[in-house]
Amino acid sequence: MASSSNCKAEIDADDEVLEESIEHFDDFTLASSWERFISEIEAVCRLWMADGPKNLLEKGAVLLESYGNLYKVKSEMKYAMKSYFMEYYFESNPMGKAAEWNFNLHDLQLCFGVKEFLVIAPQSASGVVLDAPEASKLLSAIAIALSNCSSLWPAFVPVHDPSRKAYIGIQNLGTVFTRRFEADRIGSQVPIKLMHLEGLYEIFVSKFAYSTLDLSIHVFKVQFSMRLTYRTIAYEDDDDIKGTDAGVTKSGDNPNGEASNRTQWDDDCSWSEWYYAEDPVRGFELIAIWSEKIVESSMEMAELENSSPHEAEKWFITPNFSPNVLEGSKGKRIGFSSQLHLVVDALEMSFEAQFIEDFVSAENPGSDNLKSMVIPSPTVIDRVMRELFHDGVQLTDFIDGEHKTSRAIKGAPLESLFAQFCLHSLWFGNCNIRAIAVLWVEFVREVRWCWEESQPLPRMLMNGTIDLSTCLVNQKLQMLAICIEKKQQWNEDFQDCLGSEDHSDSMTEDESVAGDDSDTMHKPSENFSGKVDSFSIADDSHSCGRTIAREGKKTEDLSPRDDKKSSENTRRGSAGIIDSMMLLKSYQSMHAPYTQEAPLMTEDMHEERLQAVEAFGDSFNFSAQLEKEILTSDMSAFKAANPDAVFEDFIRWHSPGDWEEVDLEDSVSQSGVGIEKSKDNWPPRGRLSKRMSEKGNLWREIWDSVSALPASEQKPLLDPNREGEKVLHYLETLRPHQLLEQMVSTAFRAAVDTLNQTSYGDLKQMGTKMDQLYLTLASGLKPLQVNRLSADSETINDLRRLCIVFEHVENLLTIAASLHRKILRAPRLSKEIFDDFYNFYSPRMGTGLTDDVVHKEHNVKVEVRNQERTVVSNMFSPPTANQSWRKVLSMGNLLNGHEPILREIIFTLCDEVNGNHYAGRDAGSSQNELKSYRMYTCGTSNDLRVALSVVSCD
Amino acid sequence: MDSSSSSQAEFDYLFKLLMIGDSGVGKSSLLLSFISDTYEDLSPTIGVDFKVKYVTVGGKRLKLAIWDTAGQERFRTLTSSYYRGAQGIIMVYDVTRRDTFTNLSEVWAKEIDLYSTNQDCIKMLVGNKVDKESDRVVTKKEGIDFAREYGCLFIECSAKTRVNVQQCFEELVLKILDTPSLLAEGSKGVKKNIFKEKPPPSDASTSSCC
Repeated sequence: MASSSNCKAEIDADDEVLEESIEHFDDFTLASSWERFISEIEAVCRLWMADGPKNLLEKGAVLLESYGNLYKVKSEMKYAMKSYFMEYYFESNPMGKAAEWNFNLHDLQLCFGVKEFLVIAPQSASGVVLDAPEASKLLSAIAIALSNCSSLWPAFVPVHDPSRKAYIGIQNLGTVFTRRFEADRIGSQVPIKLMHLEGLYEIFVSKFAYSTLDLSIHVFKVQFSMRLTYRTIAYEDDDDIKGTDAGVTKSGDNPNGEASNRTQWDDDCSWSEWYYAEDPVRGFELIAIWSEKIVESSMEMAELENSSPHEAEKWFITPNFSPNVLEGSKGKRIGFSSQLHLVVDALEMSFEAQFIEDFVSAENPGSDNLKSMVIPSPTVIDRVMRELFHDGVQLTDFIDGEHKTSRAIKGAPLESLFAQFCLHSLWFGNCNIRAIAVLWVEFVREVRWCWEESQPLPRMLMNGTIDLSTCLVNQKLQMLAICIEKKQQWNEDFQDCLGSEDHSDSMTEDESVAGDDSDTMHKPSENFSGKVDSFSIADDSHSCGRTIAREGKKTEDLSPRDDKKSSENTRRGSAGIIDSMMLLKSYQSMHAPYTQEAPLMTEDMHEERLQAVEAFGDSFNFSAQLEKEILTSDMSAFKAANPDAVFEDFIRWHSPGDWEEVDLEDSVSQSGVGIEKSKDNWPPRGRLSKRMSEKGNLWREIWDSVSALPASEQKPLLDPNREGEKVLHYLETLRPHQLLEQMVSTAFRAAVDTLNQTSYGDLKQMGTKMDQLYLTLASGLKPLQVNRLSADSETINDLRRLCIVFEHVENLLTIAASLHRKILRAPRLSKEIFDDFYNFYSPRMGTGLTDDVVHKEHNVKVEVRNQERTVVSNMFSPPTANQSWRKVLSMGNLLNGHEPILREIIFTLCDEVNGNHYAGRDAGSSQNELKSYRMYTCGTSNDLRVALSVVSCD
Repeated sequence: MDSSSSSQAEFDYLFKLLMIGDSGVGKSSLLLSFISDTYEDLSPTIGVDFKVKYVTVGGKRLKLAIWDTAGQERFRTLTSSYYRGAQGIIMVYDVTRRDTFTNLSEVWAKEIDLYSTNQDCIKMLVGNKVDKESDRVVTKKEGIDFAREYGCLFIECSAKTRVNVQQCFEELVLKILDTPSLLAEGSKGVKKNIFKEKPPPSDASTSSCC
C-alpha cells in the first residue's frame, strides 16, 4: 500500500504543487489506479453475483445462439489510459452438469472443462493482450477482485496473437486450492511425437510425474476420451472442372474429356431437364466419440490409435451445406424461380404494346431497354419448335402423379403443348418480352400449319373434352385439336362417299401432299406414322357420331352410303336395339340412334352465352337455343332410327321421367290373370306427364317440325372449319398482356408440377410445404384472371412475392432431394437432418422483397444409430489414388482410408481430496474427487492446440 | 331479402348458383317461384336455363346468377360445364317420388364430385312438392340424414304454394356470405392481397415433430 500511495503522490505532485508546499497529506483513502481498477472489477462482479442468472436475464443478457443456453453480460472499465471489457458467461440453468462432448460448448468451456466464466480483455481490434506482463497483471487484478468477493468463477485473459487462441486463467477453488489454466496452439510443424496418441498421453503424464522414474513405478489412472471428426470428399470436388462453365469446353481447349460425360447429382431429378442445380449438400462430417476410458500406459494409447471408428461409442453425422444455401443467394441461383421472376418482368412490359408483333419488329419505337433485349438465333428457335412439335407424343392421360391442387392453378397440364411452350420460353434467351414474342409468333405459325394440313396437334390430351379449369389458350388449343380431328374424319367420309378410293390410296395421296411441303420442318417418316395412327382412329368412329349403345353393333348397321339409295321408311343411323323397349304404335324394337356429340365450348364462349342471356333478360327461349339445336338433332336422329316412332316413344327414351306408367300391378290384381302374359308388358300403359302433354309444349313442337335424318347427315352442331378458324384468329390476335398473364399462370403451374415430381422420400415437412405452395400459387395467381388494361403495380409486386415464396420452396426441395439421394438407405437420418434444416430455414422464408436476414448458425448433429453405421461409413468411399496423394497420412483411426480432419482428446487425472479440513470444494461438483489435471488437445497432424488446467495447493 | 331489379349494374358480389336433380322434380318451377313469385306448370327445361336476380342481404347487394339445368340424361354431358365456379349447388328432389331422392346419392352427388371446381362450395338439399303431403314417400328425416351425410343444408319447400322458397335461397346465400373463400371469389374487382393475411398455419402434427 505504501508503494502505491507513493506512486499516487507522484502523480498528484505535478498538479498540486501549491498545496504540497502548504501541507502534506497521508492520503489512505485514495488507492492506486490499479487498486481502483480492482475495486471496479470487484464491484461489477459483486453486482453480477448478487443478480444471479435470473436477474441478469431480465436485465438483458445476450443469448449466444450457437452455444445452446449460454448467455453473456458485458461491462467496460478503464485502467492506465486503456479500456478493458469484462464479460461474464453463464448458463440460464446453472444446475445441469456439463456434458463433456456437448456440441454447443463455448470454446473455453471445452478447453478447460468449466461452466460459467469471466473473460477480461483490452478493447482493441484484436481483443488480445499482447505482452505477457500485462496479461499476468490483468489476471492478478481479477484474481484479487474475485477472491475479495469470494467468488469461485474462473477468469481468463487472452494472450499473444489471436491466431494462437492462447489464454491464461485462474480459478479460486476455495481456501486452499487454486486452479490455473493455460492454452496455446502450434500452427505448423507439429513434432511427430505429438501427432500420435502416445505422445500426447506422455505430455499429459509429464505434467504431474516429475521424473521418468515416476512414470515407470507409478501407475497413473488417466481418464481419456476422444472425439474424431471425419469429412467425406466434397461432392463439389468432383464437379469443379464442370463448374468452371461449359463455355470452356465449347471454346475448344477441352480440359477434361470425361467432364462432359460425367453424371450430375440431379440427373434423375425432375428439374434437370431444364437446369442444373448446384448441389446444396457438399458433403458430410462424421463425428465419432470414444467416451471415458481409463488408460494406464502409453502402450494402450498406441493400441487405441489403431482402432477403427466403428469401435467408438457414439456416432454423429452433420451435413456440410453449400454456403449459398445457408446465406441465401438472392438472384444468384438459377432455377425456376429466377426464370419466373423474368417472366413476371415480361408481363409488366407486355402492357406497353398492343400486338405481339410490336415486340418482334426491329424498328420498334419503344423504349431503349426493349432494344437491348436479346433474341436467340433462328437455330435456337428451330430447336425449340422441333422439341415442342416433333419430339412430342400424343398424350392419352397426364393426370398421373398430378398434385391434387394443381388444377386449381389456372394454367395448362404439365405435359400439354402450351405448358411446354411456357417452360421453353422460360429458358429461351433470358425470357425477355421480345424473345417470348418471337417464340410465340413461331409457335402460332406452327399451330396454323397443323391446322391447314390437318395434322394432329402434338402434346394434346385427346379425350374429346375441353377442360375449363385450364387457361384459355389451352382450351383453345384443345378446341383446335378436336376440330382438326373432326376435319380429318370428314375428309375421310367425303372420300368414302366418293366411293372411288380405298384407304391405302388416300394414304399415299396424303403422304405426297405432306412431302411437298419442303419448307416445313416435318420429317417425312414421322409424318407417315402419324398418318397411320390417325387413320386407325378414323376407322373406329367412322360415322362421327357419339355411340350411345355398343360400338360393336356397327357392322350390322347400314352405312350412310347405302342409306342414300334407300327409301324414306328405312331405318338409318341406328346404334342398336334398346333392350326391352318397344315402340308404342308398331310393336317394333326401339333403336337408339347415333347422336351428335354435344358441341364443345371454351370458357369465353360460355361467357358470351351468359352475357347474351343477361342482355336478353328473361326472354325465355333464347338461352335454350343451343340446347334446342341438340334436342332437334336428337329427335331427328331418333326418327331416322325408328321410322315408326311417335313423340311418346321419344320421351320414353329421352326423358323417362316424363312418361308415367300406369301401375301395372294394380291392374293385374284387379283383373286377375286377364292380361296376356305372352306379350309381357306390351302395350305399355302410360301417358305423358302433365307438363309434356300440355298444349304448346316446346318439345312436341320441335318433334312435329323435324324430319328424320341420321346424325351423320345432319348439319353438324359444331362446325370444325369455322371453330378452328376462330381459334387461330384468337391465337393470332392475342394481346401481349393476355398472353403473358396466361403464361405466368401456366409457367408457375408447370414449374411447381415439375418440382413436385422429384422424389425426396418421406419428408413430411417438404410435403406440407409443397401443398402450401400449391395453395399459395392458386390464390396468388387468381388476380391474373381478371382482364386488365394496364400493369397494376400491386399485382406485379404480388407476383414477385410469389416468386420469392417459390424460390424458398425450390431451395428446400433441392436440399430434400439431395439429402434423400445421398442417404437413401437411412431415411431416418435424412429426415432428421432435413427437419433441422427446415427449422433453421423457415424463419427466413419471408415473402418480403427486401432482405431480412436472420442470423443463426446452422450446425445440426444427428446421432447415428448402430444399424445405420454401415450406411454412413459407405459414404466414405476409399479415396482414389488421385485423391490420396494429396495427403500424407500421419494419424491413426482411419475410416475407409480417411484420416480424421480433427482429433480432440481430453485427458483427466483425478485425485482423492484427502481430509475435509481443506474445505476445498469444486464449484461445479460436490464429489470428493477433484480433477487435479485436465488436458484438452485438438488438432490434426500439422496443427495442435493444447489447453491445460492444473489444481495446485497454495 | 329484398328484391330489387332496378339497380342492375350495381352490386357487391356476384354468386353463381346451380340447380340440379332428376327431371320433373320442379327445379324450374322453384326458380320461377323465387324469381317472380308466380307458379306455372312449365315446359321441361331444354338443356339449361339461366336467370339473374338482384337481392340485398345483410346490407350487401348481390347479383345471383342461377343456372337451372335439365335433368334428362342426354343433357348431362352438356350441363357438366355449368358446375364450374358455382358457389352454391341446389340439389332438388321430389318428396313424392323416391327415385328422385335415391338418384341424388347415386347420380348427382357423384356429378358434383366430378365437376365442381370449388372445394368450399355450399350444397343445399331441397325436397320439393311438400304441398302434396298425402303422396309423400320420402320422409323429412330421410332428407335430414342425407344432408348430414353429405354435409349440406336442408329444407323442404313447395314451388306451388311458395312455402319456404324464399328461405331456401336466402339460407344458401347467407351461408355463402359466411364463407370467406367464396366471398373472395364473388367479389368482382375487390382484390385481396393474400400476403397481408396471416400465412396458413402449417399442419400441427408435422410442425411439432422436432
